[in-house]
Amino acid sequence: MEQPHPGCRGAEAVLNLQPGSSISVAHHPLFGPHDDLILLELDEKLLPHILHQRVTLRGQPDEDAVLCTPSKTYGIKFVGNSNSVFLIPPSDHPILCKASEDHNGKGHIQQASASVIKVAPGSMELVEVAPRLDKLRLLLSENPYRSEEALQFEDVDGMEKRITGLYTWDDLVDKIQASDEELRTGLMAFSAAEIDGYWRIVDEEYMGKLLMALFPSSVLNDWSLNALNEDEVVRVLVQDGFPQKLAHHCLSVYGSKVGEGVNGSCLWSLDERRVCVHFAREILRGGKRKMESLMEEWRHKIPEGLQASFDMLEGEVLTEKLGVDLWVRAFSVSALPLTPAERFSALFKERAKWEWKDLQPYIRDLKVPGLSLEGLLLKYTRRIQPTLDAEPIFSAR
Amino acid sequence: MQIQIKCSCSEESCQEWAIVELQGAIEIQPSFQNRLHNLEIGQLCRPSSPENYTFTVGYHELTGSKVTLKKPFLVLKKKKTINFEQQSSEGDSTGTELEVVGIIRHRILFKTRPKALISKPQPVVTKRATATGSSAPIK
Repeated sequence: MEQPHPGCRGAEAVLNLQPGSSISVAHHPLFGPHDDLILLELDEKLLPHILHQRVTLRGQPDEDAVLCTPSKTYGIKFVGNSNSVFLIPPSDHPILCKASEDHNGKGHIQQASASVIKVAPGSMELVEVAPRLDKLRLLLSENPYRSEEALQFEDVDGMEKRITGLYTWDDLVDKIQASDEELRTGLMAFSAAEIDGYWRIVDEEYMGKLLMALFPSSVLNDWSLNALNEDEVVRVLVQDGFPQKLAHHCLSVYGSKVGEGVNGSCLWSLDERRVCVHFAREILRGGKRKMESLMEEWRHKIPEGLQASFDMLEGEVLTEKLGVDLWVRAFSVSALPLTPAERFSALFKERAKWEWKDLQPYIRDLKVPGLSLEGLLLKYTRRIQPTLDAEPIFSAR
Repeated sequence: MQIQIKCSCSEESCQEWAIVELQGAIEIQPSFQNRLHNLEIGQLCRPSSPENYTFTVGYHELTGSKVTLKKPFLVLKKKKTINFEQQSSEGDSTGTELEVVGIIRHRILFKTRPKALISKPQPVVTKRATATGSSAPIK
């Protein structure tokens, strides 16, 4: 058998072994447990993120670490291997250079060899997971932005401001196990706004005040609710005493951008459903109401030009028959946990049995990588369907 | 808490490491337990037939092949750093760093039943049967 180039001691010798050749495989001079060397199994498509240093591990000391690319989150698990996995580094690797020099003098360099630095007990594997955003809602609820805060003027030196429960973007990245993109999406879903560098959930009552200022102004200025000029709206709301940041926030929470206006300012269209739901929630904050009473007050409250219909309240309210009356109470999907196990637990705590048409609005937002809605139902519910044409009923497993 | 996975590899690729994998474990003669460094494990041969590799450990000969991994492995090195400059609010000044030191795309995998070569002298390193006690490696 031919020997490869003498002095060739590493992975290359193994990987490029030619037919008709042989090499010795030996323990490296620095052979040992090397617990600091870890194998991570990685999908080829994640490699560019690694090479460009866009991958981080995130988590608090008491949490299981997750691996985050710019847009996805992965759980990490260790998978043992009962085989003997001999790990052979390349010959000129910095880890090993020093040792090679030390040992060059001694002994005989006869044939080419490959040196095993350690026997790997296993490797880390990645599993795509949903971002852990329940904690985000928890943190942001510690100190929501309220009217009282808005009324305070510029920071006066020495003035005490309540600074607990305030989180900057960097604080959130540090504490939440989610990728940057998922974190941003989560913040949008919670209608959070960045105020003075801190991400805040704005108190609903305060948002109501903004809305109530918007409508009279739109009538006064003859604005079309489908083509509101951003600069104009913000200007008027600031004149009314609202911080500029929150005027913008009002538009993004209750409207959608529809284009660009005359002087480069954005055009917004108010979302009828979002506005109407806001007013219904306001009414039901005071407790449950009879259907007729709710509908009457609701129609009374919503501004001119908007139409309210009960189906807008899907995923926001639950109805129950008490005697001859139909009662409505608030139960918003936006207040429920985001993780499937906890979501179903909360739903079945509220109601033991659900019909599909009632259940659907409360679970359609659940996203679990690798699991469809049907899969979720199979996993977390028991389905009862007395006859083929009867409505299926879902209860806890 | 965030730990960035550092990578000082070039754009094209990281340095490639190799894996030689076999079922079971190797056994070192007791007198050599403390002199592992540079101790030979076995001879890796590639006979003329290009697909096969043989690995001779002690008086066992294993047959295997070079397999391309479906998903590559990254070799990461974990480092504990002590940062004297940074004073965080918790007063903790140590951190952990992870760095990519290599990539593995192939392994030489031996999963056949070892063939005993009985004419060799008593070896220092021998191949032990699989951990389960059975020497049949077929799954």
